[in-house]
Amino acid sequence: MSLFTPEFGLVFWMLVVFLILFGILAKYAWPAIVRMMDERADFIDKGVEYAREAKRDREKAQEDAKDLLTEARKQQLEVLQQTERLKREMIAEARKAAENEAKQVREAANLSIEQAKREAELQLRKQVASLSLQVAEKVMRKDLATDKNQMELIGKLLNELENKE
Amino acid sequence: MKNDLKYILLTFILLVGTLTAGAVGLAATGVSGEESQQVEDELAVRVDSVMQQEEREDKAFDPKRTIFEHLGDEYGWTIIGKVTIPLPVIVRDNGGEWYFFSSSRLADGKTYKGFHIAGEGAYEGKIVGVDATGDEYRPCDFSITKNAFSVMISGLITMLIVFSLVRFYKRKKFKAPRKGMGGLEMIVEMLYKEVIVSVLGKESKRYAPYLLTLFFFIFVSNMMGLIAVFPGGANVMGNMSITLVLALCTFVVINVSGTKEYWKEIFWPDVPMGLKCPVPLLPVIEIFGVFTKPVALMIRLFANMLGGHLIVLVLISLIFLFSVMGQVVLGVTAVFSVLFAVFMNLIHVLIGFIQAYVFMLLSTIFIGLARVRKVKS
Repeated sequence: MSLFTPEFGLVFWMLVVFLILFGILAKYAWPAIVRMMDERADFIDKGVEYAREAKRDREKAQEDAKDLLTEARKQQLEVLQQTERLKREMIAEARKAAENEAKQVREAANLSIEQAKREAELQLRKQVASLSLQVAEKVMRKDLATDKNQMELIGKLLNELENKE
Repeated sequence: MKNDLKYILLTFILLVGTLTAGAVGLAATGVSGEESQQVEDELAVRVDSVMQQEEREDKAFDPKRTIFEHLGDEYGWTIIGKVTIPLPVIVRDNGGEWYFFSSSRLADGKTYKGFHIAGEGAYEGKIVGVDATGDEYRPCDFSITKNAFSVMISGLITMLIVFSLVRFYKRKKFKAPRKGMGGLEMIVEMLYKEVIVSVLGKESKRYAPYLLTLFFFIFVSNMMGLIAVFPGGANVMGNMSITLVLALCTFVVINVSGTKEYWKEIFWPDVPMGLKCPVPLLPVIEIFGVFTKPVALMIRLFANMLGGHLIVLVLISLIFLFSVMGQVVLGVTAVFSVLFAVFMNLIHVLIGFIQAYVFMLLSTIFIGLARVRKVKS
């Protein structure tokens, strides 16, 4: 039966077909397929690794951001405090300057008042002196008309001088 | 889930269809000119009339002959009845002259250039020439027979399938293939990663092309054998010549890649002296083993594939054998035979895959065994 006894022609053709098939597939197909499969597997592995790294980076970045935020908040607080202090200082300084200014103005005013006062006094004294001179003149004119009166006055003045000493 | 069911149903319908066509073909080998039919009951009635006609012509149905006709090789590719695809006949006669002609010239027992297809006898169904003394002799026959042609078709389809995957990879480098291509890639990956790499390790790149070609060629041929009509239907892997070539290739690959350690284990194994010195008992067994390995591969594949075809053909033949018992029996037999044949064919799909896998797996393991290195103790 031909099923059990190998037929030479069929063996020949089968060998030819199989070897050609093997030759073509071994040269152009299987290495490419195996390489592509490996490459894709590598690619996927890399992708997973990359994703893991990215996740790690993101977590780190989040932590960094949090740190940064607290730092910033701290600095803000500090700056605020500083400004507060500065403000207070500035106000104090301004007040002090104003006080000084006021003091100076007051002093200057006092001085001028004093001066005016003195001048006024001087003038008054001059006037008083001249007035009293005039009065004295008039009185003298009237009273020193008689010797008696002159004598009395001289005595009075002398008494006064004595009393003073 | 719904999709799966759809596919299963489709496969079932296709198989029933092809089987029915096959049954009609079987009927048509007995009686020519019959039209093909689809519905089984109609078929049964028709077959009954065919059988009656046959009885009238005194030509009883011979299941054994019909089955082996279907399993065996032929010079043209009979599709149905007398419809035959002619294939080239290439022969060399005793005088060393080559002849090349169409197989249609030898149809119906015709003689062409001194050659004809032998009837009963040692060369039954083969091309024979007649020598000077009038005796039949077998010429050197390189004809592209049905099986040779089928092998070529299977080779082409294998190439088509594999290159479709290569093209996919070239076009969409880092995309995962879907659907059919995904299944194909899954098979390749399973064979490569699970079998070849795990057995051969670093050397897998060197042997993978051979082993993968082996698997896909056997698998495609098996699947083609399940299709009852033209491009398939040939009993390729159930033919000893074919499996012989595959086993021979594996034999060559195994022994060419054998290491020094491998040959030492065969001729001078590490056993007590008594077992190998005066009488080389173990070396003889080992040398025997070198040949039995590929022979076992050859027989396993051949017997499995032949068995599948045989069961289906026998089941279909039952219809014709029971037809003499009346129409009711015939109808019932037809329904049950076809159902069982479909069932067997579905199992045969599984067997076709498993046998291709086993052939490849064992080839891988044998190559792995031939690549032994001395274990450093």
